[in-house]
Amino acid sequence: MKTILSTKQLSKRYGKIQAVDKLSIEVNEGDIFGILGPNGSGKTTTLSMVLDLVKPDSGSFAWFEQPPSKEIRKRIGSVIESPNFYPYLSALNNLKIVADIKGTGHDDIERVLKTAGLYERMHSAFRTFSFGMKQRLAIASALLGNPKLLILDEPTNGLDPQGIAHIRDIIIQVASQGVTIILASHLLDEVQKVCSHVAVLKKGNMLFSGKVSEVLSVTDCMELGSADIDAMLTAIKGHPNYKNHEKTDGKLMVYFTGEPQPTAINQFLYEKGIVLSHLSDRKRTLEQHFLELLQQNQ
Amino acid sequence: MIALLKIEFRKILTYKVFWILTGLYFLFLGLGIFMAEFILNDWVNNFNKRFPIPMPHVTLYFFPDIWQNLTFFASIRYVLIFPALVVIILITNEFTNKTIRQNVVNGLSKQDFLISKLQFILLFSIVVTIALGTAIFFLGLSNSDAQQIGMMGKKFLFLPGFFIQILCYMIFAFFFGFLLRHTGLAIALFTLYSLIIEPVIYYILKIPFFQPNNISPYLPVNSVLRIVEYPAIPFLQKFMGITLQNSISLLHCGIALLYSAVMIGIVFWLLIRKDL
Repeated sequence: MKTILSTKQLSKRYGKIQAVDKLSIEVNEGDIFGILGPNGSGKTTTLSMVLDLVKPDSGSFAWFEQPPSKEIRKRIGSVIESPNFYPYLSALNNLKIVADIKGTGHDDIERVLKTAGLYERMHSAFRTFSFGMKQRLAIASALLGNPKLLILDEPTNGLDPQGIAHIRDIIIQVASQGVTIILASHLLDEVQKVCSHVAVLKKGNMLFSGKVSEVLSVTDCMELGSADIDAMLTAIKGHPNYKNHEKTDGKLMVYFTGEPQPTAINQFLYEKGIVLSHLSDRKRTLEQHFLELLQQNQ
Repeated sequence: MIALLKIEFRKILTYKVFWILTGLYFLFLGLGIFMAEFILNDWVNNFNKRFPIPMPHVTLYFFPDIWQNLTFFASIRYVLIFPALVVIILITNEFTNKTIRQNVVNGLSKQDFLISKLQFILLFSIVVTIALGTAIFFLGLSNSDAQQIGMMGKKFLFLPGFFIQILCYMIFAFFFGFLLRHTGLAIALFTLYSLIIEPVIYYILKIPFFQPNNISPYLPVNSVLRIVEYPAIPFLQKFMGITLQNSISLLHCGIALLYSAVMIGIVFWLLIRKDL
């Protein structure tokens, strides 16, 4: 598997704020790599550094195992922050400029405009576009010349639900063609829906990274009720997958490692002489999980 | 190199503000050139009504003096400011629209970006110089007698002199644009500097305290303007004791080019070090 991007100890400080702190990530070919973090966690700064907009204070990075260069940037389709185009030029002329910079020729413009659903509006000035259209034009420009790598910074930020769905469809469609994607987002849901890998950032630090399926897997918990709460607690502590618990008004919230089956739990307690009056699955939402992870590192 | 110029051209192709400003510039330039003699003689007529010693009427459009006369009128501050404003707008737009970031992300280096702007400045200066040269050539031909036409090439050097003037003045604007990054601020400060601040500094430096090392003729805008200092009008010498140039001031060409080189150097140095 080829390494697309690797950063080593990348750091950037703005005055008193350490925007990115010794960040080392690795993105491999074919990954849909999510950079997840709340606003101000260093996502855009990180992407700005690897795209040569911002000079790192220390650390280094490599694209395709080569030092960064403008030739490499021409092969990457990128959208950073807001869509940046010449407001007085038409969508078509804006894309021609991008194609000229990338050296990809103009033949591909029609295709990307159609993908973004902007073909009919290509002669309209960029400033007349709605925000959703602007965002789609940015994605269209990133798709010019069929890059093997897309970098998308908050591509659905500020869009209405329909716009979000539209952009996600485009991303999923592109991803299915084997394009590597680096996607920065503060929306857990977005990363979970789209990405295969994730790095979670907070205040410039990486909390963890790995496959989405592993990192964001949910620890199930169960809500149990019985006549004798204390006896039940003693019994459940003996369960091999028991992690911890919380007491809530007459009920017990028990956290397990792995995925406990309600039938198995019920049977386990019954064998210990506990009869349950209440048993329910309480899956923690990913959102809760994400917030907890951020909190743990406070 | 041509590729960069092509990109630059695409950016202005349908940009109305650029074409309106450029159109206005050529309009003022044309009016200035064709009306200069009429305006001056109108002034002379008024003067003669009030003073006993009559001043002779001026003629501007004969060879070889026409080179000097028209490059002078084409390079007064109020006309030269138009192309400078065009440069400032084109540069600061890239910052306000954040398109400079997008250009770099898409694969332009910061050096490429600066070079593309400098190429635009160079090409614009060449086009204006050629247009002015053509106008001078035909105006000169239709207003000169055979003997004057024979001396046609004598003061031709004023045309390349004008080229250096417009080129350097646009480079000063390039400097202000990249340094300040905000359209309004850059326009205001550049206009204030070249029309008010530098003239004020000029006269302050002329007071005896700063003599004899008077550096006022070597201020940036001044050095540009002094390349073609006065039109070849004899009464300026007679009545006001001004020494007229026979040729452009090579010293001031050198100084203006030196300022430009330093400014370009500073812009490169800053932009490559600073984050976008």
